[in-house]
Amino acid sequence: MSTDPALRPFVAIDDVHYRYGDGPAIVDGVDLTVQRGEIHCLLGRSGCGKTTLLKLAAGLVLPDDGSVSIGGEALRQPGQHISFVFQTPTLLDWLTVLDNVLLPITLKRRPGAGDRAAAADLLERVGLSDYARHRPFELSGGQRSRVAVARALIGDPVLLLLDEPFAALDALTREDLQDDLLRLCTRTGMTVLFVTHDIAEAVYLGDKISVMSAGRLIDTRDVALPRPRHRDMRYAPGFGELCRQVREVMDVAAGPHASRRHAG
Amino acid sequence: MKARISSLLFFAALLAVWEVFCRVSSVPALVLPPPSSVLATLWSEIVSGRLWPHLGVTAIEAVLGLVVGALVGIAGGILLSESAFLRQLLGPYILASQVVPKLALGPLFIVWFGFGLTPTIVITALICFFPLLENTLTGLESTEPSKKELFRMLGASRAQTLLRLKLPGALPVMMAGLRIAAVLALVGAVVGEFIGGRAGLGASIMAAQSIMDTSLIFALFVVITALGIVLYQAVCLLQRIVLRRYPQA
Repeated sequence: MSTDPALRPFVAIDDVHYRYGDGPAIVDGVDLTVQRGEIHCLLGRSGCGKTTLLKLAAGLVLPDDGSVSIGGEALRQPGQHISFVFQTPTLLDWLTVLDNVLLPITLKRRPGAGDRAAAADLLERVGLSDYARHRPFELSGGQRSRVAVARALIGDPVLLLLDEPFAALDALTREDLQDDLLRLCTRTGMTVLFVTHDIAEAVYLGDKISVMSAGRLIDTRDVALPRPRHRDMRYAPGFGELCRQVREVMDVAAGPHASRRHAG
Repeated sequence: MKARISSLLFFAALLAVWEVFCRVSSVPALVLPPPSSVLATLWSEIVSGRLWPHLGVTAIEAVLGLVVGALVGIAGGILLSESAFLRQLLGPYILASQVVPKLALGPLFIVWFGFGLTPTIVITALICFFPLLENTLTGLESTEPSKKELFRMLGASRAQTLLRLKLPGALPVMMAGLRIAAVLALVGAVVGEFIGGRAGLGASIMAAQSIMDTSLIFALFVVITALGIVLYQAVCLLQRIVLRRYPQA
């Protein structure tokens, strides 16, 4: 590992092992690095251990072996400047949309005018400025996910961790939210670790993709698509080819029968 | 609206059948008084002013028992939810306190607290605290794990997690417990008066029984039912106010 701070990875997961109780290893010797400002997608089938790896990167669980460091500092508890977006939006029904976005602030101190302005600005950026006084149960699934993203971005976190945040949404809404996320991350230059099981989502969002299977990282590759990304890219031959290559890696990991399965 | 009218018509029909049955059958009024007699007795109790002090005593016992039981139940539910040690230590005793027939404790409470409001309030509180304890515990325990993880990520303290996540999340379940407790509160107050009350609707029923005034017993049933409905509706109103920010089921 380089000693030059500029070249040192921002997120460094080093030979990390984790198991629940006496069960089998969920994360089994993973090495993963994410450079500052990079959007790194962690791709894998359900149950491959990617959510656990994300929680290890968040400090929500601590490794049995190995180490996790963020910005050069070992992580021993949930990091202060790390934001996490869960599979479900995890909004508090009894708070307004604005108060949900302000939650990370109000847990620390009384929010000031600047905080309120920042929350309003984030809501505007995710297209929900008209819904600030609404309550989460009055919103659609896509709108709730947008609020969760806005809440994760308040306070300018240095690292954003997302655990399949758009998995439950319809395809069109999911694409809209992916564009929103890219726009917001580009604006702030934030480092992102994004967990998904959707190959096209990983290719569209990521600078890098790591493929995970049975608790191990089996492949890490750069995504050779220019930035900024736009939705026409999804239909370009290069995009489809990248998806196919990633799929092959996943099929090889899943065993000899996976690639022969077909619908109908 | 149609259902409500049908319900009222059904009630009127029941009263009519009851009245006719009493008039044509040879059942003595001492056993089953006709509704007209019950209404006349009720009216007489109202206009004479004899009813109001008893109604007041029972209402105070029910409300105070409900409030005390609810507060103890909520506090107990929070303590048991936050401490696995306390849950293991106190769980069997709390269950025992509910399994034992609480009315059998009445004579003991009279020895401890004397006659009057206190033993009845204690019995009522003992009956009311369990639904609140159970529902508070259930509500707090059913906090979504991902929301608890969110609060951990946000660096929330244990008190913040309790006050700003778990308790607000548990509030709908706790209010359901309060609705059940409101119904039980009146049962506790009236039956508590059976044992040691000198005033109140339960004590009045015992007095009416001793003079074989069946019409008065029925009239007091009507008053107890009305009081129960008022108490229940008051709790429903409180629930609507408390849960106004929540999704309506």
